[in-house]
Amino acid sequence: MNPLKKLFESTRTHFSGSGKFKALAPLFEAVETVFFLPSHRTRHRPFVRDSLDLKRFMTFVILSLLPVLFFGIYNTGLQAGLAGGKAYTVSQAFLTGLTYVLPILIVTYAVGLFWEILFASIRGHHISEGFLVTGLLFPLTLPPTIPLWQVALGISFGVVVGKELFGGTGRNVLNPALTGRAFLFFSYPLTMSGDVWIAGKTAVDGVSGATALSVLAPEGQSITAALADSGFTLSNLFFGFIPGSIGETSALCCLLGAAFLLLTRVANFRVIIGGMAGLILTSLVFSFIPGDGGSWLKAGPLYHLCAGGFLFGITFMATDPVSGPGTDPARWIFGFLIGFLTVTIRVANPAFAEGTMLAILFMNVFAPLLDHMVMKYKISKRIPNV
Amino acid sequence: MGGLSFMEEMKLVKGFKPALAGKPDQSVIYLPDPETVGVSVMDIPYIRPKILVKENDPVKTGTPLFCDKRNPRIQYVSPATGTVEKIIFGERRRLKEIVIRLQGKEDFIRFETLTPEAVDTIQKPDLVRLLQEGGLWPCFRQFPFMDTADPDLEPPMIIVSLNGNDPFSPHPGAVLEKEFSVFEFGLRVLGKLTRRIVVSSRQSSLDQLNGVKNHVTHQVPDLYPAWDPGVVLYRLKTTVEENRSWCISAEHLLLVGKFLLTGTYPVKRVFTVTRPGDQKPHIIARQGSPVKALAGRFPDRSLITTGRFNGRPVDPDSHLGFFDTTLNIIPDNPEEELFGFIRPGISKPSVSRTFLSSLFKTPKELDCNLHGEERACVNCGYCARICPVDLEPSFIIKALLSDDIEDALSFGLLDCCRCGLCTYVCPSKIELTHLLSDGITAYYKDKQ
Repeated sequence: MNPLKKLFESTRTHFSGSGKFKALAPLFEAVETVFFLPSHRTRHRPFVRDSLDLKRFMTFVILSLLPVLFFGIYNTGLQAGLAGGKAYTVSQAFLTGLTYVLPILIVTYAVGLFWEILFASIRGHHISEGFLVTGLLFPLTLPPTIPLWQVALGISFGVVVGKELFGGTGRNVLNPALTGRAFLFFSYPLTMSGDVWIAGKTAVDGVSGATALSVLAPEGQSITAALADSGFTLSNLFFGFIPGSIGETSALCCLLGAAFLLLTRVANFRVIIGGMAGLILTSLVFSFIPGDGGSWLKAGPLYHLCAGGFLFGITFMATDPVSGPGTDPARWIFGFLIGFLTVTIRVANPAFAEGTMLAILFMNVFAPLLDHMVMKYKISKRIPNV
Repeated sequence: MGGLSFMEEMKLVKGFKPALAGKPDQSVIYLPDPETVGVSVMDIPYIRPKILVKENDPVKTGTPLFCDKRNPRIQYVSPATGTVEKIIFGERRRLKEIVIRLQGKEDFIRFETLTPEAVDTIQKPDLVRLLQEGGLWPCFRQFPFMDTADPDLEPPMIIVSLNGNDPFSPHPGAVLEKEFSVFEFGLRVLGKLTRRIVVSSRQSSLDQLNGVKNHVTHQVPDLYPAWDPGVVLYRLKTTVEENRSWCISAEHLLLVGKFLLTGTYPVKRVFTVTRPGDQKPHIIARQGSPVKALAGRFPDRSLITTGRFNGRPVDPDSHLGFFDTTLNIIPDNPEEELFGFIRPGISKPSVSRTFLSSLFKTPKELDCNLHGEERACVNCGYCARICPVDLEPSFIIKALLSDDIEDALSFGLLDCCRCGLCTYVCPSKIELTHLLSDGITAYYKDKQ
């Protein structure tokens, strides 16, 4: 027998029956199933089953996030270096970034898993693989300068209020990672907006830490020129060498993740394509509205697509199947409206520079309604059979 | 009906696409009579059996063994001559099967015969009575519950399905070979029961059908379960009344034809046995043959079913039922894989694109393992994407679990043909088909 398997078999007694750690049975089970794919016999028809399970499903989301994660770590270091007037090599930048990002990651997983295990143990549920995704998504939406106690608070709110209060995985209305972020955003605006996007910046004066979306052109200058003056050229926005939340800056890495999710069909393409269509159409229409040429109203689709967290949100957050709609037509509408709302909030609401988070959460709330309407329509098309 | 008819091609894109290993060979072998045969109750829907014989009673071929208390005229008869060896009960004293030990020369109960010329003149009640006495009425099944057909009803449509429930059920070419005239006779008999007869066939079966091909009205793609009568009905129906249509398999229609022509109970049936890595021929054997006689040797811990997606598991010591035409020997693969969730999976069968195997079209071997553990539904939509009758299984399940039968029905619960594909693909390993089936059964019983 595999020595690992032996180890699990010998410790199993402590976690089951009358063992000392019986309460932690879900934890034992979760660790064991990471190592060994469980494979019970089928008891009901069909007697054959697909090889895909939820663990692999969620693992693929994590795989798709790796480019974003690694680039985010690198960029955090790079921006810190730039702010400090130092030109880092790739490995220097990565290691510097790691000193900021790793603690956030560790705190998120430690605190989040604590809640997961607590709820799973009390309820006697399995520990859901979904948390591995939530636990990686949440840090990537935060500025690298966020205090760690706020990270702990945010993920606690996301997991407990965003998910467990509704009954746990599969029953939450809102995306837990975004719920946690929204909680921090509204509770601690000072650490979540403004000059917070560059780690280590406080040491040096004279570097603006704002994101591209808070740029406003002075009288007579176009928004794109003003963006370029602040370092936000389209190519910088696309590749991601700009300040911002850890994971959101690189449009390219988000697109790589999206491509992976679409090729493996883990994410539903309707949400992503619908979202992009919504954003592009809305920003195109807005660019024809007469008005101030120096605001994001006139930025056009490409800038709207690459700036801010839209691509990150639509690829990794909006495609969360639990908080999104469950029918295909509703998925199109859901995606489209997220794109539409993102641009609308960016352009029309001076209080919020970025609209992706709010757009997704707002549409999360509406997802059941969209499903309800689609089901009503579908029923009307079916020949009744009662 | 009769003569040349126009074949319509049905388009259907949802279904099980990967190629499967273990396709049976086209050749046919004959199995000698077994020592015992059984009449199983396990494959008869909703039946409340009333046993008509005692152990050690002598029976002829065609002697009624039990009837259905709901309609005692619907009888199930002995497929062999001998004595009743054993009446086997399961839990709560529910009849499982009646075992007959074959003895002496075959002796048939003689029934009235019907000549091809007399079909046009026979009255429907006489026809129904004859089929009920002869034990062949159960061949007819009625939608939406797939219960034994109600003889008092005139169905708006009867769907004759040339293909069985499993992807590797007997090939209609092997079943209908040399029986063309009986099949045509059967179709004429159907004409006494309904105005509309639909004959559906898988595309791949058409080549070897010869004359029968002219009677095929609808050709369906080679995609499980496109040929399921439930799917065919879903694609065809235009009115609410058609929900009460009937269906019959081509093989059962042959039995009806043979019975009426000869006045004796037909006992020979065609079976397939499928096993990964094996190409077994089609087998002609007596109805109710022992599972072991057909299955031959198989690996320990294998699961034997009468349809890998929508059949039932059978005990190797039991006998095949009236509706069973195929045995799938599904291997068990109890080894737990290290880091299974992240392996590339070159040979893993999956309809998803998360395994490298999705790049290759080689036939895949399916085992009888879950490949995961049950989790909460995450709304991934895989079930809806594969449902051949365009249901949203996850929505129906949620309605059923919250006891909202009205919603479940309006979402199309009764259109479900229980093909099992939603459950097959579910990454959360939720027993969707089981829950849907239970919901349908509960509703059926509620209506009684």
